[in-house]
Order: sequence, then C-alpha cells, then structure tokens
Amino acid sequence: MTTKKLHTEEFTVNMGPHHPSTHGVCRFKLTMDGEVIVKAEPVIGYLHRALEKICENRTYPQCIPVMDRFEYCTSMSCNMVFALAVEKLAKIEVPERAEYLRVIMLELNRIASHLIWYGTTCLDLGALTPFLYAFREREDILDLFEMTCGQRLTYNYIRIGGVSRDIPEPFLPKLRKFLDEFDARVDDYEALLNGNPIFITRNKEIGVMSKELALAYGVSGPALRASGVRHDLRRDDPYSIYDRFKFNIPVYHGGDCFDRYMVRMQEMRESAKIVRQALDQLPEGEISTRVSPAFKAKEGELYSRIENSRGEMGVYIKADGKEKKPYRVKMRGGSFNQLMVMPELVIGHKIADVVAIMASLDIIMPEVDR
Amino acid sequence: MEIAGIFKYLYEQLQATGLPQGWVDFISLVAACFMIFGFLALVVLFFVWWERKVSAHFQQRLGPMRTGWHGWFQTIADSIKLLTKEDITPNAVDRPVFYWAPIVGFAAAFAPYVVIPFAKGVIVSDLNIGILFVLAITTFTVISMLMAGWGSNNKYALLGGMRSAAQVVSYEVPMVVAVLSVIVFVGSLSMVDIVTAQAHIYEWFVFRAPFGPIAFVIYLIAATAETNRAPFDLPEAEQELVAGFNIEYSGMKWSVFFLAEYINLFTVSAIGATLFLGGWQGPFLPSWLWFLGKTLFLVFVFMWFRWTYPRLRVDHLMEFSWKVLLPVGFANLILAGLMKYSGWFNW
Amino acid sequence: MVKKLIDAIKNLFIGLGVTAKHLPRKHITLQYPEERWPMPERSRGVVVLLSDKETGELNCTACLLCMRSCPTAAIRIEFEKDEKNKRQLTSFVVDNTICCYCGLCEEACKFDAIKLAPKYEFATYNKEDLIWDVKKLQEMGRDVDYEVTRKKKTEDKPKAPAAAKEAVKPDAKNADKPSESSPAGTAAKQETKPAEPTVPKVEEKKTENNAPAVEEKGEDRKEEGKQ
Repeated sequence: MTTKKLHTEEFTVNMGPHHPSTHGVCRFKLTMDGEVIVKAEPVIGYLHRALEKICENRTYPQCIPVMDRFEYCTSMSCNMVFALAVEKLAKIEVPERAEYLRVIMLELNRIASHLIWYGTTCLDLGALTPFLYAFREREDILDLFEMTCGQRLTYNYIRIGGVSRDIPEPFLPKLRKFLDEFDARVDDYEALLNGNPIFITRNKEIGVMSKELALAYGVSGPALRASGVRHDLRRDDPYSIYDRFKFNIPVYHGGDCFDRYMVRMQEMRESAKIVRQALDQLPEGEISTRVSPAFKAKEGELYSRIENSRGEMGVYIKADGKEKKPYRVKMRGGSFNQLMVMPELVIGHKIADVVAIMASLDIIMPEVDR
Repeated sequence: MEIAGIFKYLYEQLQATGLPQGWVDFISLVAACFMIFGFLALVVLFFVWWERKVSAHFQQRLGPMRTGWHGWFQTIADSIKLLTKEDITPNAVDRPVFYWAPIVGFAAAFAPYVVIPFAKGVIVSDLNIGILFVLAITTFTVISMLMAGWGSNNKYALLGGMRSAAQVVSYEVPMVVAVLSVIVFVGSLSMVDIVTAQAHIYEWFVFRAPFGPIAFVIYLIAATAETNRAPFDLPEAEQELVAGFNIEYSGMKWSVFFLAEYINLFTVSAIGATLFLGGWQGPFLPSWLWFLGKTLFLVFVFMWFRWTYPRLRVDHLMEFSWKVLLPVGFANLILAGLMKYSGWFNW
Repeated sequence: MVKKLIDAIKNLFIGLGVTAKHLPRKHITLQYPEERWPMPERSRGVVVLLSDKETGELNCTACLLCMRSCPTAAIRIEFEKDEKNKRQLTSFVVDNTICCYCGLCEEACKFDAIKLAPKYEFATYNKEDLIWDVKKLQEMGRDVDYEVTRKKKTEDKPKAPAAAKEAVKPDAKNADKPSESSPAGTAAKQETKPAEPTVPKVEEKKTENNAPAVEEKGEDRKEEGKQ
C-alpha cells in the first residue's frame, strides 16, 4: 500500500513589533512549515532615533547625553566609548581617580545590564519570579548611581577628561554592603535555574552557534565566548586601566542558549571581583581634566571600542578640526550582529525557541536601531 | 462542630412540610446545587486574591493593597469591571459553538462536586463509582477548549485550542494510573470509602511508601497539566505567539473561562486531598476544617509550582507525559498491586 | 539514567526551596504615595530657577550659558539691555517635554541660577502646562536649598574671603579626604581673582570645583531613610 505524499504548505507568521518577548520593538517574519521555522527575516528600524545625525549637530560635551540613549541599559559604557574616542583624538589625559571611578561604574553597569538580561530571559521562559529578584538587586545598583550622578538610567557621568562628580560619602559603605550580599544572590539564581530540568530542556541544544558562524557575523561579547572563542576586549585590547585587574574570562564551547546563560552568570561574578579590586586600589586625586565645553578636536578620525555587556561597542568619530562638533559619528553595537545571526540560528526550531534564542543572545533594540 | 448535622436538620424540616418524597428529594438536590455554586463562587473569589498575594510574597512584594484591607475586595472589583466590559464578538465566528464553549467549560468545572466529600457525612451523592465519575467528567473541559478554538475562527486560537486539548488528554492517562494505584488498596471506587480507608495519619496514601509518594507526585504533575497551569501553561502563555484558545473572548465570557480554571484548581486539589491526604480525617478539629486545610495546602503547592518553574515547550510536555510519567505510573501500579495482594502492607 | 532523574528531582526541590526562602522576607515595596523614597541630594529632577536667599530675586543674569549648553534646546531665554548696559531677563522658558535632564545647564551656570531639583511630581493633564515660564520656574525653585557658590560682582571683596572660608570650612570638617578637599579649597581661593574675564575657563573649573562643594552638602544632609 502506498501512501500519497501529504501536501503541505508553508505559511508566514508575523511576530510583530508589539510583542512581550522581543526585547524592544523588533519584528520577525517567520515562514513556517507546521510548527518548524523554515525562514526568519528580521525587520528593524522601529526604534530609529537618528542619534548619529543628532551628534553631528552637538558639541562634543553635548554628545555625551545623546550617547546615553544609544544603549540605555548600559549607559555608562556608551558615555565611556565616546569619551575614550575624543580623549584619544585630542590627546587628553585622564586622572587616576577618574579612571578607577570609571571602571567601578562600568562594571556595576555591566552587572545591572546582566541582571536585566537574567530577569527578562526567565520571564520569557515562563519563570516569573527571578525577574523580580534580579530587579531587586538592580535597585541597589541604581541607588548607588543615583547617589553619585543623579540619574538612574541615562547617567551623563563619564565625561571627556574624567567623570562629572566625585562619589559621595555613603557610596562606599553601600557598595561594599551590596558586594558582600551579591555573591550569595547569584548563588540563589543559579540554584533556582541551573539544574532545573525544564530550564535545561528549553535551553540545551537550542540555537547552537558554531565558532565559524559567530566569527563570520561579527558576533562579540558573551555570545561569542559561549561559542568557544576566547575574545574579550578588556584582555585583548585593553583600554582604560583594565590591565591592572585580575579577572577570569568564562568561555564555553557548546554555543547553545545554556552556554550563553552560563557565561553571563559567571561574568556577573567576575565584574563584582573587578569592582572589589578597584575599590581596594582607589586613589585620591582629581576627578577630571579641564575640558572647555567649546573645545575643538584636531582633525582626524578614530574608532574606539570597549567591551560592553552585549559585545563590542564602538564609536567612530571623524573630526575636521574647524568645528566644535564632530563631522561624523558612527556607533557600532553588538546587538546588531547578534540580531543578524538569529535567522541562521532559528531554522529548524519552533516558535517557542525563537523567544528563548533571542533572550539568550541578549539583543536590545536601541543598540540595533540607534 | 460538625456541619453534617445542619444539613440533616434542614432535610428533616423539608420532609416535615409534608411534600411527597420525590419533591423533597428534588428540592434538596436543587438546594445542594445552589449551595455548591455559592460556595465555589466564594472559593474562586478567594483564590484569585490568594494567588495574587502568594505570588507577591514569593517575589518579595505586596500584591493588591488598596481595595479593602490588603486588597480582599480586588477580585470583586475585577469582576465588576469585567461585567461592564464590552463583549466583542467577531463577525465570522461560529456563533453557537462560540457562545456555548464557556458555558460547557463552566458546567464541566462544577460537575465533579457531586461526589466530593466536604466533611464527615457531607456529600451530595455518594456514588459507588465516585472517582471514576470525577475522572470522566473532568474530561469535558477538553470539549470546551476545542469548541472555543474552533468557534473563534482564528488560526491562532485553533492552534492553541488543539494544543490544550492534546495536553489535557495526554495527562489524563498518568493521572488515572496514579489514582488507580490508590484504588487498588482501597478496593472501592466510592469517595467515602477512600476517605474512611485513611483513618489514621500513617494510613494516608501519601505516606504509604514506596508507591504512595510516587503516585502522589505523578498525580500532582498530571493535575497541573490538567488545569493548564504553569509549568504546563504554554497553550495560554502570553510570552508565546498565540495566547491560547481564549484569544477572541472578552468581558464576561473570558472571565467565565478564567473562573472555570480556578474551579478546576480547587477540584484537583480536593481530589488530591481526598485520595492522598486523608480527606476530612483528622483529630480534634472539625472535619470540614481538615478538608479545607488540606485542599488549601495543595492549592498552595500548585501556586508554588507556578511561580518557581519555567514553562515547558509543547513537544517536551507530550514527551514527558508519554515517555516518563506513564511508564513510571504503570510500574507504580504494578508495585501497588503486588504489595496489596502479597499482603506486605497490612497497615 | 537514574542518576539523571535523581539529579533532576533534587534540582526541582532546590528551586522550590529558593522561592520558599523569600516567602517570610519583608517586602521591598514602597507604598506610594503614602511612603516616598527620600531622593538623593544630587538627583536630577526638574529644572528650577533659584532665587537669592535674602532678597528673593532671581539669581539669573541672562548670560545664556545654560541655553548654549543644552543639547536639546529646551531652554529659551530673552533679555534686554537696560540703561547701564546690563542684561535684564525678560523671558526664560524651559520646555519640560524636550528637556532630557542631563544637567549640563546646571553645570554651565556660574551664578547659582539654575538647578535640577530632586522633584519628579509635575505631571499634568495638558502638554502646554509642561512648558514653564520664569514665574513657574522660580516658584518651583523657592523651596530648593542650594549652596551659594557665586561671587556677586558688587560685593566682590567681602564675599571673596567668605567664599574661600566656605570652601575651607568643609576642609576641617572632612578629615576623611584631606588630599581631595585641599586642592579644591586652594583652587577656589585662587580662582576668586580671575572671576570674570575668561568665561569658558571659569566655567570648566566649576565642573571640578562643584564636585567637592556640593559633595560636602551631600555629607551634611545624610539620607537616613535610605541606609
């Protein structure tokens, strides 16, 4: 008895810009064969705010609040990368204390960003409670930031030449208290989910990104380190004073969602280590070199990059020496590359996995769309 | 303070009015239905509020606090809001199916209460096929899900409805097998007999190792899947593409599905308490208090599961049921049978 | 295989344990509006205009530094020159719908005229009500306390030692960070002399000088509620 081949048809499903799990406004056009995805096409641009063009009409110090909004989950890194670029162009020296304060703020911001990632990943997978635990920790970090620079999300703190303000009195005791409790809290998070068979089944062997694929698409950051490439800009192209700290770089070789999760959990611990070392070495001194608000950078172009929590964040500045505004500012964010590699990763998986993969790659749309 | 006496007194008063016996029975049954309806309405109101409070305290926050003392009025306020919401019915729905789906679901949710023993001597009808009746009737919810999925004329609702139906049907089997392990020991399908077989705490089936705890765990997992609760709530999860079979429902019709879900939760907890935790048995306190306490404890366990675990994907769900739960359940059943008939367990 | 199963069950129970651990803990919710978070002193809220503590007049001299430093052009100032050729402020409008609360105007001002006060409750029903004129800005700034760091042109001589004293006083108070306050203190003393000539230079010195001066203020008013 022969069975006729069943006629199947592919249909298109739109995972629209409004969706609880697309980490911002991202649209996917999924072509599906039954439950399995055959093709995925991301449609971006819903959050485009023309930040690069805005920077062309702002003086260098005024660009810093604009850069804040480039990737608002890690606003300190955005400030930092721009300030680094301008300092290199104009050969401005940054005082020691400012360097240490910058590192402390950058690493705290990395922890805060990873906490957002952790909370939203668990939320997407259906475990609704870790989201609130992560944000409880994040509240402590945001209180520290608010105490220092006045804002909780868009800090405008790391300026060209240093930082804007010195840390107030209550900062250090509060930070030490936070660090003392933080490791136990991360232990809690890991206990809750690491061995959980449901979590493991939803994340292991899902969205496997091979080393070659990651390198071909320019993926960087924890997603790259989970695919076996030991590349961290803090170690390979050190900026600021990162060469003075001892920290490990977690690298896993599976390239699936679970490995990306493990890399980030360990990175949180490593960042806490860096902050502790920076606190011990924090010197006294000035917090900023004087920079005129109307300063003109010399003619030149420069690309500077730092290791953000989502990958390599870079800024390319072209200054023409005559204006006090940059001629061109190009921003590079890690999420863009990771969004572009997603269509390759979701083929053969189901819709529920699209959510898991997007969450594990830690894509946020402001970095993609600028 | 046993409540069986109150019902007996009311029944005798009714008989004393001189109506023919048939009428007396009929009126008493109708009255029992209304009483159960009222009781369950209160229970559901309480559960919705309790779930919000329990989830809040697991997450170190407060939950509803403004509507009344600690928000006790919140569910009622929500119900009033839902009543006043516009009842949107899309044009192309299959009207009879669309309208009857929530009603069927609601009715299926109430039906098992005919045989649940609330207290010593308080049961609407002690059928001698009690537990079988319950297991059969709870399957009616599948029909309502399919009706909702089909009647909505929406491919996502259909997908969600079929997934729910598949899930409920798959998890019926391990549940029945787990229940059978207990029935083997009791020797009767009647709910009252099951309760009386657990007269002492060491006789509770959850403690009768090794088959008791295993059956209990299987029952808990299967019951979570039956009621479409997390971690098995993919068919109605918001984080996925489809919101489940109740996409097209709004206002009161949606709330009927929602309430039916909570009534189902109470049902499975009550059955679990009856089968495994000794029903209304217990010293010192009145039996209805024991029953309520045990049921509420099981409800709390279900809520605990919901707020701790991530969600299972549909294929994992089915795999788990057929490839893990069912073999373990069967092995457990054989073990229970062996233990009973070899006389190893003479507790 | 059995080990995997036992591991899985064990981890499921550990997960339950973590959630259960949080059940008896005290909640961290703040029931707004009955309970309010004490905002840190440096909190960048809404823009206000500060008035002199004795006379009640606006400190603003229409120097337009804040307008030039605003990255979003949320500040619009108009002025006239009076008979002494001194600038008189006629209109000062801040558009709260455009302001991005970056604080660059506060740092640019050297007359203690504009500040980002730690206020956040200014929601209205109309967008037009969010565009504030000088009256509203001054009214919002009346109860905002600030450290006087400007040097008034008319009372230059008597004020200068007072300003230096103010910068030096926290020196003695603050035994914790001697190395940091002293260069700042001496810098304050040094810069009282070339107060007027180069506008950008004084202003950028302010960015660094502001830090210790305002910081002392932060130490004075401890945020007890938070710790």
